[in-house]
Amino acid sequence: MSASTTYDSASQPGPVGLIVEGFREAWGRRRLIGYLIRADLKKKGSDTVLGNLWWIIDPLLQMSVYVVLVTVIFARSTPAYPLFIFAAILPWKWFTSVINDSVVSVTSQEQLIKQVLFPKIILPVAAVLAGIANFAFGLIPLAGLLVIFYPDRISPTLLLIPVVAATQLVFTLALAIFLAAVNVFFRDVGNVARHVLRLWFYLSPALYSADQLSNLGQKEPVVGALLQANPFTPIFESYRNVIYSGTMPLFGHLLQVVAVSLVLLLVSVLFFKRVEPAFAKVL
Amino acid sequence: MRVIPRRRPAVPAEDQFDATVPALPALEGRGAPDLVISARDIGVRYSLRLTRKNTVRQTFTNLFRRTGGPRDFWALRDVSFRLVSGESLAVIGPNGAGKSTLLQVLAGIIVPSAGALTVNGRISSLLTLGAGFDQDLTGRENILLAGAFMGMTHAETKERLEPIVEFADIGEFIDAPIRTYSTGMRARLGFAIATSVDPDVLLLDEVLATGDQVFREKSKARVLELVRQAKAIVLVTHDMTWVTEYCNRAILLEHGHVVAEGDPADVVAMHQEHSARERAQKAAQIARYGGVVKRP
Repeated sequence: MSASTTYDSASQPGPVGLIVEGFREAWGRRRLIGYLIRADLKKKGSDTVLGNLWWIIDPLLQMSVYVVLVTVIFARSTPAYPLFIFAAILPWKWFTSVINDSVVSVTSQEQLIKQVLFPKIILPVAAVLAGIANFAFGLIPLAGLLVIFYPDRISPTLLLIPVVAATQLVFTLALAIFLAAVNVFFRDVGNVARHVLRLWFYLSPALYSADQLSNLGQKEPVVGALLQANPFTPIFESYRNVIYSGTMPLFGHLLQVVAVSLVLLLVSVLFFKRVEPAFAKVL
Repeated sequence: MRVIPRRRPAVPAEDQFDATVPALPALEGRGAPDLVISARDIGVRYSLRLTRKNTVRQTFTNLFRRTGGPRDFWALRDVSFRLVSGESLAVIGPNGAGKSTLLQVLAGIIVPSAGALTVNGRISSLLTLGAGFDQDLTGRENILLAGAFMGMTHAETKERLEPIVEFADIGEFIDAPIRTYSTGMRARLGFAIATSVDPDVLLLDEVLATGDQVFREKSKARVLELVRQAKAIVLVTHDMTWVTEYCNRAILLEHGHVVAEGDPADVVAMHQEHSARERAQKAAQIARYGGVVKRP
């Protein structure tokens, strides 16, 4: 007979033990995470006529909307503005879709959680990792844009996109794990997140460069502080450097984002593991 | 059968249990049966403040509302029992008695708020059959996914894939999305997966009533086969015939307490007596209030 398990009301490991357990569970169930990712990709592609083509078309359409808005209506001129803005839309679409998916990643598996014992932390992790495909597909229209319209902007710094993306991934993962757990208790998270994300986008140097926004920061100290603290400020700037300007990413700032994100990740995993035993009861 | 008063001594004496374990023919010559589950004073408390699908607003109202009913609710209280391999334990009782909660505790899905539970061996549970399937994936993909969720290795799942498909016997549908399945087909696939894991303990919640006559016979045979393989089974059911025919022990749960434990026939008799009394009370109430039933 195999190992004996004791479920005891009194025995819960300490904070470090919980964090270690969380990481160990995610790693130990990597095959399950793989299945979940594949299932997710299959579903996303299967319910529309154009399927996964939408991952290519969607950022292009969104780019067109902003190009019209900013260059025609606000009459601003930035050279190669479509590329300028695409460098921000691509990672932002990745971020928002991952956050939206992971918020409901635990609650949507309600039935399974009540039937089978498995580490719930794999659910937001799988949602985040599945999102990478979204980003990868987005690189196709980016390549198209560069080759067809801006061949002179193609530079070797494009190879540094994964470095910036990795930074974003760590930050996203920390946030996703936290929000997935909170949503079990408060189903409002999705609604709130939608609006917070929109505001977040406008307070990030996405449509404008960080320099243009810093003028605003001088007039409005609150906005200035938010821009300073916003991890997407260095992330967007870095994407833009490597894609649009052909310069180096802001390595120092990215490193700071990674450091803070890793701390956040530990806190998120701890929080998730702390509240995990209540999931089956609350759902 | 032992009728169990509330708040009985914490850990029942060993000898009492020995009396309740009838020797199955298959167990002869195996020596002492292995203790599979030992539950000591299990209690499960639900907080009524932080419950189902709360919104922030409701939580705040709940926090600030001092009055307004109890803060929590014990779905199970002082539940103690043991299970050895080869046993088939029936859990019976009226709706809302805590039967399903007990299975969730045994499966490790809910951690008891009081008491302790020791489980030796691998537990398989598909408590509500098929409800956890991914609607957009095919039957075959769902088998792989379920196997991974239950912690099987890839090789184990691969090995069991064909037997599961064969047992579920849903033909071409195995490669169609689950959303195209009928309820019966879903239940058959769920049953096939749950019983394929070669578990030491199998937890079944109201699953024998599913499917058509043929499949019901087949699943009966499967469960009996598992019992013969000296695996233990905990079964929640309203099918009293099954309990008296195929289970060798039963516990009666009422309001989260174990009211009686022992020979299935006796426990079933007590359960039926209690429900008859309940029905009579309700009928009397209806007669008195002219159709308006007031909850006690």
